[in-house]
Amino acid sequence: MARQHSECVKNKNGLLFLILKKTLTLIQYRRLNARLLGGFLYKRANDVMLYQGKKISVFFLFFLGLCFSYAQKNPEVFPYKAAGLSEEEAAIHLLSRFTYGYNVNDVGQIQKEGLERWFFRQLRGKATDKELAEMLEPYADAMLDNKTLAEKYPRNTRVRRMMINDGYIPKDSVINGSVFFKEAYKNYLAEKGFKPEQELYRKFIAAKVLRAAFSANQLQEVMTDFWFNHFNVSFTKPQSAPFIPSYENHVIRPRALGKFDELLLATAKSPAMLLYLDNASSVAERPNAKNKIGINENYARELLELHTLGVDGGYTQKDVSEAARILTGWTIYPLNGYGNQNLIKQITKGNEVQRQSLIEEDFVFAANKHDKRQKTVLGKDFENNGYDEGVELIFYLSSRPQTARFVSKKIAVRFVSDTPQEALIDNMANAFLASEGDIKKILTAMVYSPAFWHRDNIYSKVKTPFELAISSVRALDAQVENPNRLINWVTRMGEKKYYYIAPTGFPDKSSYWINTGSLLNRMNFGLSFTSNKASGINIDLLELTRHHEPESPEHALDMYAKLLLPTTDIVTLKNRLSPLLTAQNLQKKVAKSSGADLHRQDEDMLAVNTRKINNRNRKSNNAMLAQVVGLIIGSPEFQRR
Amino acid sequence: MYTRRAFLKSSGLGLLGIGLMGGVPTFVAEAVAREKNNPLYSKRRVIVCIFQRGAMDGLMAVSPFEDVYFREARPTLFMDVVQKASENPLIDLDGRFGLHPSMKAFERVFRDKRLAIVHGIGSPNTTRSHFDAQDYMESGTPFQKNTSSGWLNRAVGLLGHDNIRTPFSAVSVTPALPRSLYGEEEALAISDLKTFKIQGNTALVNQNAKSFEDLYDKATNDLLRDTGKESFEAMKLLQSNLAKHYKPANNAVYPNSGLGNSLKQIAQLIKMDVGLEVAFTESNGWDTHFNQGKETGIFARNVGDLSNAIMAFWNDIEAYQDDVLVMTMTEFGRTVHQNGTNGTDHGRASCNFILGNHVDGGKVHGIVDALAKENLEDGRDLPVTTDFRTVFSEVADKHLRIKNKNELFPDWNGEGMGVLR
Repeated sequence: MARQHSECVKNKNGLLFLILKKTLTLIQYRRLNARLLGGFLYKRANDVMLYQGKKISVFFLFFLGLCFSYAQKNPEVFPYKAAGLSEEEAAIHLLSRFTYGYNVNDVGQIQKEGLERWFFRQLRGKATDKELAEMLEPYADAMLDNKTLAEKYPRNTRVRRMMINDGYIPKDSVINGSVFFKEAYKNYLAEKGFKPEQELYRKFIAAKVLRAAFSANQLQEVMTDFWFNHFNVSFTKPQSAPFIPSYENHVIRPRALGKFDELLLATAKSPAMLLYLDNASSVAERPNAKNKIGINENYARELLELHTLGVDGGYTQKDVSEAARILTGWTIYPLNGYGNQNLIKQITKGNEVQRQSLIEEDFVFAANKHDKRQKTVLGKDFENNGYDEGVELIFYLSSRPQTARFVSKKIAVRFVSDTPQEALIDNMANAFLASEGDIKKILTAMVYSPAFWHRDNIYSKVKTPFELAISSVRALDAQVENPNRLINWVTRMGEKKYYYIAPTGFPDKSSYWINTGSLLNRMNFGLSFTSNKASGINIDLLELTRHHEPESPEHALDMYAKLLLPTTDIVTLKNRLSPLLTAQNLQKKVAKSSGADLHRQDEDMLAVNTRKINNRNRKSNNAMLAQVVGLIIGSPEFQRR
Repeated sequence: MYTRRAFLKSSGLGLLGIGLMGGVPTFVAEAVAREKNNPLYSKRRVIVCIFQRGAMDGLMAVSPFEDVYFREARPTLFMDVVQKASENPLIDLDGRFGLHPSMKAFERVFRDKRLAIVHGIGSPNTTRSHFDAQDYMESGTPFQKNTSSGWLNRAVGLLGHDNIRTPFSAVSVTPALPRSLYGEEEALAISDLKTFKIQGNTALVNQNAKSFEDLYDKATNDLLRDTGKESFEAMKLLQSNLAKHYKPANNAVYPNSGLGNSLKQIAQLIKMDVGLEVAFTESNGWDTHFNQGKETGIFARNVGDLSNAIMAFWNDIEAYQDDVLVMTMTEFGRTVHQNGTNGTDHGRASCNFILGNHVDGGKVHGIVDALAKENLEDGRDLPVTTDFRTVFSEVADKHLRIKNKNELFPDWNGEGMGVLR
């Protein structure tokens, strides 16, 4: 933040700037001393600071406070005007990049708050979220840690084994799908207080939908999604699957706006990643050992190719092999039924963890499995230093310029366009290196780059199916009653969330998402969205228009298009749809399909119960509105962000 | 990018019928008129791949019944060609291998030399993880995790006639796109052809489709506009040709199973002549650790379903048989010895089936040595004597006429083994 603060002052007030700069230098000097000269000098520097501080502290603090509050109110303005964008257009661009969707009210709100203030508030990601917390309550289990999950939701295969071991079922009666087994399985779970594995995954995905749709910390959610895809793991690998909820919730989300190297290290130590890319079973080769176990290079290769340097990052097969040797012994803590059950015995004596080994919650560094020979990666030598070797490797890789560029480009592709400008990537990569991988700084550099606001980049991204579904919820202020039903639609549109097999993650480009197979489903999604039964969504279309009942389908189109697609040129949309909407028979048709038969209605005119008729009219009118909204959601304009 | 609309040229038949959306678009009619006498696709070849997920016990599907070691290794699972009381014997294929009796449907095509079996096939990577082994087999790169494309997707790209790609060139009849079809080339994953349209109440469906078609026609974004156009063309083409109540030819009866339904849809696509070249589907439930059974039970049901579905398909597409080849695959085989729960655990090699008029059939190809312990991989598994790429690339070469096998299977230089003539 210091950069913003000082820059703002520079523009406005030279004197203030000087004072601030001096303060900052002093603070930095103090830190530097502390680091370089050790305790004694640190103390001295501290004393000097205190001494000076007494005299000038009031003075400093006054101005400092003034400057900070000023900076808080007015960070440097984003350079969108130079790109010819109005503030409203800029607000929409910002919302379309850093949230899961918006409607016209949000656009107004962030303009009121100030685009920059809104952005920095999102960067902090600290907004409290009472409503969301309440919504998440039924899915609270998805937030449990791995140890608790392993006990509460044991894998199906393990339950089967336990049932046999407990003599609950005869050894040879286990036939998947047989009625006897299903019954026994259900009873056994209930008796032991276990829950089925699949239930955890359902809860986890439901919670994901709710967070995306309703979290006040939208940028944090978007970045969580980005990093999950960057460090992809997959439910398709059964060994890794049970650890994925905690992977997203405890490894990625808390670090999504933190430091890249810390995030990378946390993924490297997570059971989900250790099992997905097999590092958990990668051990130093023992030439004389009976069983053929040894190095597994999968993780090391992806660490270099996908997580840090990139495929053109200038590493060799030898670098991969040596990196794999550095990471031997990095494995999972044996939890209920997972991992090497003898491991802890091997690395502990009594309650003491043996030399060099390390136990950290669900992660273990087993020194006895570690390759102790010397290694060299990218020309850097690694002496035998146990666990620290791996940490050093990960920090080293994180600090490479290739990594800064590779990761910056990937972020730019996600947030700017499928083909981001070189200058933009340069700015971001520079910020990456200067800040030692501070994700906040990289994103800040991105929004302060003119290229971010270039007209070519407005609406240049195609929404992924997940983004389309969630943006529909957000645009219509809808309630999600059944998140799993909504996610079924996302799958049908071509994005099976958390099931992408390959470590590359989903490709981030429009042509991957828009194809013949998926496009019709996007339109069908739009049409079914307003139907609770199909989409799991509950929606009050009239409330959205503040209960101004649209007079005609055309009027409805006008109202909803303004709401859902602010500033988009809706003339074309209207021109194309108007003839249809004004057609004599539309309302009739809609009414018919919604079950309100018009002939019956005529008869009902004679009925005394006029309320019934009103209801029916309203139902038919609502169906007409649903139709209009469905067409907007399925329209090409709404596929873009 | 390929020329959009081009695929329509192929499909003269049926197109002039009643279009679902009310009339055939002009350009389609024009295309048809132009190309009517010059069907571009008459020589289009189709490969149908069936992935048996879970690892099929190749030794039970095609049993070396003469092998005394094998008899010993499977006290309660071994089957014989000799008829015993109330037991169906194996079908003796060549005096050495016996086909599981539930695959009786295969016997005729095997004797007709149109069905070939490759035994001892598998991956050079020794992983026994379903996930990894499937991943490697589908990417076609057994030692590279990070290959982003699948081998069938690369095959589509290498077919060598860019200008006549259609949205139906590569279709997977599965809910999600399989790893085999990941990649640059467009591929369609669809579990039910009937749903490939704008859905909803009949009263509105045409109107909605019309609205969307108009909207996409005017989209400013090229990708959305072009894909929109193509989607509606594809939809019309498919729905106008898709019979409401499909009646397979030759009274073929598909099993009422996932695989049966998938193959039935693939047959429909082939007959509609919409440009299908690479079809994929899968069959599940092969991970038989427990009670796999013998002539009855899980395994018998699975192979019964597999063979009956494939044969129903084969009979259904009789008129197209010259251009169609069916190939099965599975990620690995199972242990030679049965385990403690009357099942088998993860092993190495298995077998696969290749059906087509140009197949060197009626033979069990490959090498299976006596199953003495010293001949087994790690002392327990049928060793892989044929790299799966040997067969896959030969099929790609001789059936699909893909010559650049180094692009199809990077890092691999092996030769074919004569499974195709």
